[in-house]
Amino acid sequence: MRTERWNVGTMERLIAAVVVLLSIFPSFHLSAQHFSIGPEVAFGDYREVSSDLRYRGVGGGARATVTWKKFSADVAISKVTYKPTSTGTTTQQFDAREVDVRLRYYVSGPISAELGFINRKADPEFNAQSMGALTAGAHMGYLLGPGVHMALSGGLMFGPRFSGGGTISALGALHLGLGLTVDALRGRLRFNGDYDFQRISRKTNGAGGALPAPIQQALGRAGIAVAF
Amino acid sequence: MRMRLSLAVVFAFASAPCIAQTIQNPTLRRAQQAFDNLDYRQALTAGQAALRERLTGYERARAYELLGFTYSGMDSILRGVDAFKQVILLEPERDLDPTKTSSKALSAFQVALTQVLVIRQLHVDSVSFIGGQGAVAVRYTVTQPARVVTHVVSGQTSFKIDSTVASGQVNIRWPARLPSGDPLPAGDYNVIVEAAVGQNNFATSLPIRISHGAVDTLPHLTSLPGYTYLPETEVPPKSWRPLGLASVYTGAALAGTAALSNGSLGSTSLREGGVIGAGLVIAGFVMTLKNPAPQPARGNILYNQLLREQISRRNTEIAQENTRRRQEVELRVVPLPRGGGGR
Repeated sequence: MRTERWNVGTMERLIAAVVVLLSIFPSFHLSAQHFSIGPEVAFGDYREVSSDLRYRGVGGGARATVTWKKFSADVAISKVTYKPTSTGTTTQQFDAREVDVRLRYYVSGPISAELGFINRKADPEFNAQSMGALTAGAHMGYLLGPGVHMALSGGLMFGPRFSGGGTISALGALHLGLGLTVDALRGRLRFNGDYDFQRISRKTNGAGGALPAPIQQALGRAGIAVAF
Repeated sequence: MRMRLSLAVVFAFASAPCIAQTIQNPTLRRAQQAFDNLDYRQALTAGQAALRERLTGYERARAYELLGFTYSGMDSILRGVDAFKQVILLEPERDLDPTKTSSKALSAFQVALTQVLVIRQLHVDSVSFIGGQGAVAVRYTVTQPARVVTHVVSGQTSFKIDSTVASGQVNIRWPARLPSGDPLPAGDYNVIVEAAVGQNNFATSLPIRISHGAVDTLPHLTSLPGYTYLPETEVPPKSWRPLGLASVYTGAALAGTAALSNGSLGSTSLREGGVIGAGLVIAGFVMTLKNPAPQPARGNILYNQLLREQISRRNTEIAQENTRRRQEVELRVVPLPRGGGGR
């Protein structure tokens, strides 16, 4: 148990370092890259183990993006206060702090390869699972019109660690995303919205063998960013 | 006989190219008077005395010439030759009229010519021709076998046009072109002929002027008549494609969510995906109503590229044609009045 908690904390520190690095990075060659940063509103649906543990919540966050040649990176942080729904049996709410980092490399046509990691920490920690995982997948972008981009992404999450323990199969953790950005003021201002769905087929060891303890989250984010 | 020689000398003096100049020195005048009176001794004495006085170049040449005629008249051929050598060195272009000069004096003069190294009678023909299709005739006479180099010089620029070992009359045909084939630029030049044999050397020059006729060159092209560049981007016609694609993306995301949802966790929540998807569909609808973004027109880009290549190729041909026309310009070469003699 302590080992799992230590892993989550290490991941957070790593995430923070990457965020700081990406924040500093644009100052080197602003002319050759695009950088945007801004606040977001986040709203989500979180479920765990069974349909009785069901939460919905709203919170805030921020997003930073940087584009350099064929590379791009998105860093999104959010804090959502999940409250139990009326249909659930639980009565305790919790805060989910999530950091989502995606690094992309443009491949061809609308396709980019995507690597990243995700870290979500629940507070109080016993009310939900804190977790961290690496992500890998593909990102398909399309220019809908002048200054309007949409994207569909999907992939797998590898090597997840949970604060409450547990394992998954090789294809047991999936994520799916939908994104929209609209440029305004000649690209200086950017409205963005994205949807991220995670499905994790987690299993825990119980007295009777492996017990399914799935986790599922649907998170929507909408915000505004200043582009440089 | 003396009378004939005296008359010959008078005629020879009269035929001298520098006839406009006169003898001012009284001693030389007295020597001339004595020679005219056939008093050779007095002519010799006065002539030699005159040479010891301050004389102009013309007077000095006349004094030596008087001595040459006098020695020839006195049958002192060697001294006559020496005197004529001085005349030739002072006035390389000096010639005696064979019809009006005694044979003794003529032969002494001819012998003198073979004993000094001078370039005589440098002459450039006045000529007009098309560059590459004609040449300038340059003639001169070198009195002794010698290495003779001919240059054309203008300011710091010098072109060697001939180098030969020659004696007697030399004829050169000079095309008046640079090594590149271009005609010599218009301007004033000096044709310099330098002769050298052993320690002796001599050089003479003749100024010339080279002028060019008008060159009818072709202007370079910036466009081809009848062909204009086409816009390299074009706005595609409005279509329902943005709305359709936004709907497809949204549908894919929502369908994916529904398909991936774990059934044991209850009914799927499409609220989050629905909100973002609705925004996307609205954006797609707005984009459908708006004019699409300009797209690169590949056909027009290729057409413009071909047009640019064609213009570039045509300009290269024009440049080559203009080079050829400049090389075939009409060249006019005119000798100018000579400023000085040889050295």
